[in-house]
Amino acid sequence: MVALCSAGAAGLSSWAAAQGLPGAEAVYASAPPRLLQIRTLVADAGRQTSTGSGFLVSADGLAITNYHVVSDAALEPKTYRLEYTGADGTQGGVTLLAVDLPNDLALVRVDKQDAPFFAFDKAALDGTLPKGERLYSLGNPLDLGFTIIEGTYNGLVEHSYNDHIHFTGALNPGMSGGPAVNAQGQVVGVNVATRRGGQLISFLVPARFASTLLARGKDAKPAPGDLRKDVIAQLASWRGALYKSLADEGFRDRVFGSYQAPETRAAWFECWASTNASASPKPRASINSTSCKAEASVYVASDLNTGTVEVNHSYTKSIDLNQFQFATVLTQLAQPRLAMGGSFRKWYTPQHCREDFVGVTAAADHPPLRVMWCAQGYREFDGLYDVALVAVTQDRADEALVSRLSLQAIAYDDALRLGRSFLERLQVAR
Amino acid sequence: MIWIEILSKHRDVAGRFRVDAAEISIGRGYDNHVILDDPYVAARHVRIFRDGDGRLVAEDLGSANGLYLDRGKSRKPQLVLDGTKPIRIGQTLLRVRDAGHAVEPERLAGSERSALPIIAAIGLGAVLLAINAMLVWFAQVSEPHASDYLVPTLTMIGIVVAWVGVWALLARLFSGRSHFLRHLLIAQAGLLAFFVYSELAQIASFALTWTTVFSYGYAVSWVVLAVICFLHLREVGRSHTVVKGIVVGVLLVVAIAVQSLQRSEAFANSGRPNVSHVLLPPSLRLAPLRTEQAFIDNVASLKARLDADRAELKPAGVER
Repeated sequence: MVALCSAGAAGLSSWAAAQGLPGAEAVYASAPPRLLQIRTLVADAGRQTSTGSGFLVSADGLAITNYHVVSDAALEPKTYRLEYTGADGTQGGVTLLAVDLPNDLALVRVDKQDAPFFAFDKAALDGTLPKGERLYSLGNPLDLGFTIIEGTYNGLVEHSYNDHIHFTGALNPGMSGGPAVNAQGQVVGVNVATRRGGQLISFLVPARFASTLLARGKDAKPAPGDLRKDVIAQLASWRGALYKSLADEGFRDRVFGSYQAPETRAAWFECWASTNASASPKPRASINSTSCKAEASVYVASDLNTGTVEVNHSYTKSIDLNQFQFATVLTQLAQPRLAMGGSFRKWYTPQHCREDFVGVTAAADHPPLRVMWCAQGYREFDGLYDVALVAVTQDRADEALVSRLSLQAIAYDDALRLGRSFLERLQVAR
Repeated sequence: MIWIEILSKHRDVAGRFRVDAAEISIGRGYDNHVILDDPYVAARHVRIFRDGDGRLVAEDLGSANGLYLDRGKSRKPQLVLDGTKPIRIGQTLLRVRDAGHAVEPERLAGSERSALPIIAAIGLGAVLLAINAMLVWFAQVSEPHASDYLVPTLTMIGIVVAWVGVWALLARLFSGRSHFLRHLLIAQAGLLAFFVYSELAQIASFALTWTTVFSYGYAVSWVVLAVICFLHLREVGRSHTVVKGIVVGVLLVVAIAVQSLQRSEAFANSGRPNVSHVLLPPSLRLAPLRTEQAFIDNVASLKARLDADRAELKPAGVER
């Protein structure tokens, strides 16, 4: 309080300094010894293949970065190694200690002792940061040199399973893993991503995940190969939790023409509708679709992103098509497509399908269905599969509901359970 | 009176000589009854006479290249002639017939004989065009255009005519008669078989959920193609049917094997089975509804399949 008062008398600039509200210049001034560029090198060639940023979080050289900055070294430790370059010009090797796959974070150790480091912002850890607070994001974009960027804290991103801070500022490739700090230089989040096609829409991983990872991993001494197993285990357990949450949130029924179908209650789905009513030439069957999609996909490796969940219902009614023509429309709508988040030859097992006519009891409420179920496995992730379930109602010749459930990276039993409750909720509207 | 006929390679009569002598000599020299301009024939090569039983007999007159029966490999000093099988001297085929040789009965040239194949060809053509138009119509889900019907119809007609034309040309070259109508009927029947199979397979894959019927359609297409090729070849020339059958059969096996290999490699490369899931009007359903439990059990069994694939595909040294 005293400092505050005296600062008031000393004029604007020193008032601001005493308040701890300096500009970007003051924030950056203390950053160089704590700010790192983290480079992935091909072990044999000694040349970099990708770069990211990172920051020190302890005096003995522990640093936080993104998992996707170090994923090559985590998954293929024999082929890749890591190095850092400090903003103050220091250089050295980097040891990977622990990763947090769902939140895209990694904890590394660099050979520094008694170094200055970044502290976490308490308000950010508690989640009480006010919207609009000025943040400064630090990093080395595109290997052009260390940079500071001003932006605004805009709370957490809505419709997202993993918490992400919506940061309005220009993040660029290479800044990933760098810190976003408040005016006092305390870490609020970790630079992670930007939305293509948006303007200045960027995302940060909240500081509390970094803090948790630091506490969990600071004493870790992983052997080569351990991290790969850990990544796989984290993927499986995170997906298990996600699908459990999806099942726990439950479904609500929604009417589509003569049918009712399930829609998830989970808030982390984003729903959009589409129609062909205004298409030209005039459509001969009306198609009204609702698609709810969870962008819960996660970066697993430089060539694999997976984890999208989607529920899609298309209510189709013939305008002037005969039965066979209408069936052609349904055939086009109902092909079960399994999207791939990476190359088939590296990540997936071949797709297999089953299809059949299914009658869910009681028959009065449930229309007969033609159900297609296609599944593929992950070559290296035991117990994880991608599943696409498509059901087409078979009670009328001139209208139908084509319902689709797409589940990426799911345990097979979870898929069976979700698929079953999905089919049971496809009903005739009352 | 005896007739000596010189035959071409395809057994057409290239020359016919009437000889009234009791004994006929044949050779390259000008002192023979029948003179052959074949450098492999001796000056006096063979003589033909009647033996004690009245049969016609050919006798080698000591030529260097000898006397053979038809395609026979063994040289004969003497041959009894039946008027059907030719003899071979040098590179020339000769057939010897006496005046009493029985000929085939007269063929009818009347209109009622040729009317049936023409009606059949027209009928089959109409059926094919109708099926083709119906398929286009059923797939018509947006604004209809005349060209949607015209283009596939004309394409089909063009391909059939070109195909039949080639076979008719081959038949004309090798057997002297083009038999256009017969080739047309064969091609139409093959196309009809193909259409019927592909439609039945679609219906079965939906109505009976026999999805595998559909995925082996390519093999059936090859079989149909092989059968019509064999029938065309038979029309081109009635000889060597066994050899033609074997050749077509071998080609068929090779084609199916190559395409199966190509498909399995494509599947191994893409992981996507090349099958579309066909929907038809619900009233065509023949299979009973399965209970939800039965379906879930069925798809649950897929897990073992996926896990087996994974075990097979997983790189040996997972620890890297």
